[in-house]
This record gives sequence, structure tokens and C-alpha cells, in this order.
Amino acid sequence: MPEWRGAEYVVVNLARAIQPNEVVFSGVNSVLPMAACILAKRAYDFPFTYLSVAGGVDVVPERLPRSSTDPALLAGSAAIFSNEDFYDLATRGKLDLIYLGAAQIDAFGRTNVSAIGEWAHPKVRLPGGGGAAVMMPTAPRVALWRTEHSPRTLVETLEFVTAAGNTVVLVTPYAVFERDPAKNERLHLATHRPDVTPAEIAARTGFAFDAARAVPTPTMSKHERAALDAIDAFDLLDNEMPKNQTLRGA
Amino acid sequence: MTEKIVSLAELARSIPDGASIGFGGSFLHRGPFALVRELVRRGARDLEVIKASPGYDIDLLARAHAVSRAKTGIVAIEGGFGLAPAYRRAIEDGELKLEEHSCMTIAAGLRAAAAGVPFAPVAGVFGSDLLELNQWKTVADPYGSGKETVVVPAIAPDVAVIHANEVDARGNARVYGSPHWDHPLTRAAKRVLVTAERLVSSEHLAQQPELTLVPGFMVEAVAIVSRGAWPGSLHPDYEVDYQAVAAYLEPGEEALARHLAAAPEAQAFVRA
Repeated sequence: MPEWRGAEYVVVNLARAIQPNEVVFSGVNSVLPMAACILAKRAYDFPFTYLSVAGGVDVVPERLPRSSTDPALLAGSAAIFSNEDFYDLATRGKLDLIYLGAAQIDAFGRTNVSAIGEWAHPKVRLPGGGGAAVMMPTAPRVALWRTEHSPRTLVETLEFVTAAGNTVVLVTPYAVFERDPAKNERLHLATHRPDVTPAEIAARTGFAFDAARAVPTPTMSKHERAALDAIDAFDLLDNEMPKNQTLRGA
Repeated sequence: MTEKIVSLAELARSIPDGASIGFGGSFLHRGPFALVRELVRRGARDLEVIKASPGYDIDLLARAHAVSRAKTGIVAIEGGFGLAPAYRRAIEDGELKLEEHSCMTIAAGLRAAAAGVPFAPVAGVFGSDLLELNQWKTVADPYGSGKETVVVPAIAPDVAVIHANEVDARGNARVYGSPHWDHPLTRAAKRVLVTAERLVSSEHLAQQPELTLVPGFMVEAVAIVSRGAWPGSLHPDYEVDYQAVAAYLEPGEEALARHLAAAPEAQAFVRA
């Protein structure tokens, strides 16, 4: 059996993006980052503040809701931190880490969540970026995730730039890419799943990247394993993953 | 009873074709969904939807060909169901003209309208193609910091409709849980309509006035609609009815008719 099953690699590596004492935000339509924040609360012994778009502060529900906007992420909270509050927190630079999703991502961690094809006459109308265009350039650190790792999702040129800014990490089912936004540099391969080679990842990636510093992703810790098992929402998390995605073949 | 309490059908009839409507709530949570269904039942046309994160509401209106324009930030059914299929089709077919926002740019526009100024500053946006697409302007800090800031035009919806937990006969509306964007929305709109789960006494609301999201003097009319946010959630009264959302997403006219007939307000009518 592989070490990482289904959505586990994405969830755990999104959780690993959190640093001690940060204020962290997970938004709408973001089941995997929601799970990552809850996993981090259970698995790591350092303090951090978890804000959810539902308005809750540091709420760790017993049962993971299906919607990352669900009031279950508010129940038991001693405060309601409203939409205006967390946008203002981000735009004055005090929301340390935010999670954002995308349909397409380029080497600079810019995202397209708007349209495939011409914006005015799209082949596929995508959901839109939510607050990404406002938060991505203003929050100090942005973590992206993409559950389909392919040349059509990780691209050299975006069809539309929905948001650009302070992307520091991109997590896919196979790899963790990182960059320093202060240097406006391209993403480089930081770690990869131990059973997947950097060459295989390159073949699946539409933008060129430096793999010189890449090492295998550290094994899941027993605390991370225990937290995942305690969350016990594997069907819910795996539902976020593309069907029939295999690295070899397909 | 005062004149502010009306039926759901009267509330829907008071919104004319062509109106721009700001809906409260977010995705599947505390949306005025019974009112949205009633707009479909009355055959509304040419509406504009203004909401940072709509889903079921705009999808239902698109499915009924009731919406021709929208200002949105992110649109999905959510809850594991992915994109909003009828909304997507309406845009791809050219039936629905989208003004794509970044959630906070809608809020900034609402804040401008609420404050009575023609535009409002919003941080970020630089680097996004939305800046050129929407022809948003930038201004230099007139106080000399050298910083350039994006400004967006005021957004004043013709009507705001929110769903509240409790309302009194004078229209004071109490909301438990997240206000989502309902605060700036109800201040920006030209008219405010409320659907509410329960009618309560003014004395009850007066015990905790800080929970009243909209004071009655700003509210034009109210309809009492039990389970009015169905199939979405209303904190703390009920959770999302995921089976009903799945049934809604079945394609075809018959599935839509079944969904509308299964709604709590339709069931109540049958019983009455």
C-alpha cells in the first residue's frame, strides 16, 4: 500500500505550511485547507490562530462539515470574525497565511479561476477567484493547492490572470513547490512524494522548474497520522480529488 | 399586525422584472432561498444578481432564465457538488452577462453606496486581469504617501433580500451566526426586504439589541417563512439538506418542478 492515500498528501502538506503563532485563514469552497487547519490544530504542539470564512475563531469541530462555509465552523466560537474583519486583516498585512485554490497555476504562483478560453466567450466558465485578487497581493504568505497535477493545470501561460501575489507554496497530489515572493522568483520543486521522481513530475507539469534542491517529502508523523484518523472524513476529502488520476499511464 | 408583514408571494411580486437584487448569506448558508424560488414561480425576468458568493440562488434563477446580469466573486454549489451548472451554461451561452469581482470589490462598492460616496478604495487587485477587464481606476494618495490604490464604483442594488432568524412586526431583523455580507448589503440597497424564520415580540429583540442586524425603520416588508433558507442551512436552527441539493441538481424540467414542489413553503401551502 502506498504511504500516502487519496487526499492525504495534499491535506498534510497544506497543514505543514502553517508556522508557529501565525494567523491562518481558510475560505469558501476550500474543504482540503479546512481539513489541513483542523489537522494542524490536532497534530502540532505550537499555537496558531485558525480563522474560518464561516466566522469562527479556533473552532475544531468533532465532525468535518461538507461545506467549508458551514456554521459548524462557528459553533462554540467565543467570537465572530466577520467577512469585513478578515478582509481588512489580510489587506493591512496581518493575516499571515491564506489558502487559495485555482484551476490553472503558473510558475510564479499566479492563478486562473475565471475562464478557459476567451473570458468574454468562455469554453468553460470557472467559479471565479473569490477574494483572491484582493488577498493574494496583500497577505504575506499564500498557499495554493491543485488536486489535478497535469500540463493543463500547471501551465507556463495562464489564459486569464485572476490573481497574482505572495504565493509561497503550491501543493499537488505529488509535489510541494515553493518560492520566495520577495524575489519574484519562479516556483521550484521543494519536496516530492517518495514514490515519484522529479522527472515524472516534470513530465506532468506545464511550466519548467528547478529541481536541484528537491528531496523526498518527509514521512507522515504519528501525530499527523493520528489527527487524520481522528478527523475520519476520508470519503469527504477524497471527493475533492480528480477521479482516475494516475501518474504513470493515463 | 402592521403593514410590514406580507406573504412570500407579495414580497416576490414587489420585485419588478429588471431589478438588481443583492441576496444575503453565502453559498448554501442563510440565503433567502424561499424568496428566490418564489421569483421563479412568478416568472421573473431580466434580473441582476449581486452577491460575492452565490450558488444555489443564482443557479436556480439561471435555470429558470430569470437572470440576465450578475456581479459575483465566486460561484459554486459547494458542499462537494462543485460548479453551479445552470449558471455556467448561462454564461457560456451568452444569456448571462457577468461582471466578475473579487468579493471584497463588491463589498467596497456596497460600502461606497452605504456611505453616500461615488467610489471606494480597495487594497490589492494589482497583477489581476480583473483591473483592466472592469476598467477599474487607480488613484494616487492625495496625502502624498506615493501609494497607488484601486477604486471601484459604488454598488447600490435596487433591492436587498436577506433571511433572518427572527423578526418583529416592525421589521427589526435578528440574525444568529455570521452576518456574511448582509451588513453593507442592507445599508447600500435602495429597498430592504426580509424573510424570517419566526415572528417574535419587540420586547424579545430589545433584550439583546446588538443581535439585530437591520433595524425595522430600514425594512420595507417582511415575510415569515419557516425553513426559508432550505435547502441551505440556518445557524443554529437547521443544517444543509444535502439530499435536497442533490435532487435539485438532477437535470431537466421535471426535476426542477419536483424541487420547487418539495420546498417547505410549497408544502405549507398544500397543507393550508
